[in-house]
Amino acid sequence: MKAIVQTRLIHLKKHWVSLIFWLAFPVIATVAIMGLTNSLQQDSKVPVGIVLEETTPLATTLVDSIKRTPIIQVYQLSEEEALYQLQQHKLDSVFIIQDGYEEQIMKGSRNRLIKSYRSDLSFAYTPIAEMIISYVQQDTGRTKAAYTIQELNKQYSNSTQNWTWGEIIEKSKDIEKEENLLYTTFRFFNADTEADANQFVLFNPWGLWAVFAFLSTCMIMDWIIKERRKSLTPRFSFMHISLKSYLLKNAGLYLLLFIIVDIMTLILFKFNMREVITQDLIGSILSFRLILLMGAFLLAILSTRLPTYYGISFILTLIIAIISGAILPNEGLMTQYPWLEIANPLAPFLSREIGYGWFIVFGSLIGIWFVRKEKRNVKGA
Amino acid sequence: MLKVHNLSKNYGSRSVLNDVSFNVKEGEVIGLVGENGAGKSTLLQILATLQRPTSGSITLYDKSYENKKKLRKEIGFVPQDIAIWDEFTVEENMVFFEKLAWGNKTKDQLKKLCLDMKLDRWKEPVTSLSGGMKRKLNIAISLIHDPNLLLLDEPTVGIDLKSRKEIGNYLQRLASDKGKIILYTSHDMDEIITLCDRIVCIGEDPFYQDLLQKAGKSIIPV
Repeated sequence: MKAIVQTRLIHLKKHWVSLIFWLAFPVIATVAIMGLTNSLQQDSKVPVGIVLEETTPLATTLVDSIKRTPIIQVYQLSEEEALYQLQQHKLDSVFIIQDGYEEQIMKGSRNRLIKSYRSDLSFAYTPIAEMIISYVQQDTGRTKAAYTIQELNKQYSNSTQNWTWGEIIEKSKDIEKEENLLYTTFRFFNADTEADANQFVLFNPWGLWAVFAFLSTCMIMDWIIKERRKSLTPRFSFMHISLKSYLLKNAGLYLLLFIIVDIMTLILFKFNMREVITQDLIGSILSFRLILLMGAFLLAILSTRLPTYYGISFILTLIIAIISGAILPNEGLMTQYPWLEIANPLAPFLSREIGYGWFIVFGSLIGIWFVRKEKRNVKGA
Repeated sequence: MLKVHNLSKNYGSRSVLNDVSFNVKEGEVIGLVGENGAGKSTLLQILATLQRPTSGSITLYDKSYENKKKLRKEIGFVPQDIAIWDEFTVEENMVFFEKLAWGNKTKDQLKKLCLDMKLDRWKEPVTSLSGGMKRKLNIAISLIHDPNLLLLDEPTVGIDLKSRKEIGNYLQRLASDKGKIILYTSHDMDEIITLCDRIVCIGEDPFYQDLLQKAGKSIIPV
């Protein structure tokens, strides 16, 4: 193995720039695209000014609800500043949660709780106002229901236990979570729905990374075609290592290199995208990396010309990007063609599983290639 | 000693070599001549264990050709195409193949091997070498594991006269000083006549035999 490392270093000395580029490409491309789309999303949100005249729990909860809405960028300002910015058309509209909001809600009153302002260029005022009204109505409705329950409890229940207003409100929120009638969200194939429900993330970062990692692995593994040159093949017959062993052992070295880079990627994603590192994630990354390497190895073994190999690599990347659901939602496609899920090499990784199927297929093919004898009766007498 | 006995090779119904037999002693340089397609390269590849004969037997120092792996340590094969890493320097090429070769050689020994062939551009990239220098490197790499049988498939094709002479002189020294067996194919009859002790004519065309007889060379009957 020492000889393999030494000879590989001689090769890498000549190609270190392209090697580093392709090793770093998946993580750089993923971080860049995520950053770009996040900033575009921020820019495309509707700027809304919120003025909070009281800081009661109900008022702050309302502001939090508005802030969590994916299409709105909330600026919490003083009334004076908010109105100034509205005049400057920096804000689409301004909503003032008036003093006494919580008191009015608890009384069940729905009148004049929020004051709103719009300008002649406010294009999203109506839907935003409707949305805020729905939040307020949710609170007033819940409060009214709480009072009704308390009243009914007093009249009809023999129980000594009295429910407080707060307990009823909390219980109603729990029921709402469990029995949400209208629950729609945009999600990627195999993505964690709960986590993404309010975040509206345009791309799944691991999905993006996986697609770029597929391409970069193919680009890095082109050494197999370069080093399997027809003129050099006879040399290996007179060495202590066969060409096949040489290729396999070098592939093993590359696997090690890829794993080191993958671990660095994992750490970067943890800090940059708040990715939670779990055993499942590490296992799925390792198995995905092994499958990728074996796939690229087989593709390179089957290819004799570099342009063909590069062409096939790009086409496969494109196909995988489409069918994987990593970049575009693919549930319609999956419903129509269920076999695509089995054929998709990214599927096990995206669902944090180990891709045994691909591992067995690729492993068997490499095994057959390794034990198969080369045809010796070459022409050229 | 290399002993070839009743060696035949067929590609399907086409016979390329038919009952070829000859013996070569240590220290001899043997030329293989014949028209294109006569089977020179095929014979060389069979002797190099890269192809199997259809029938017949070969022994090298009384070792059978059945155990290819052991035998290959004794064989150096110089392919017709230049088999070197173009992006490497001469040094890197030599070190690369030494790492994967049987036995160890120091950098100084590798450098000496190149210098013996008048290949003195140790640190230079292969891309800056002339055709003759590349051919010398091609041969030097095949000699790293110090083989007893050296098989060269047109090793001087397309290079200048000076380089050809230098390679020829080196091969003659290698055979006479170190007792190596050298088998050599070439289309250049002058080179074959000057360099080789005896010559094997492959094929049925009498042209080469007539030419060699006129030159007074010893022809090995096959």
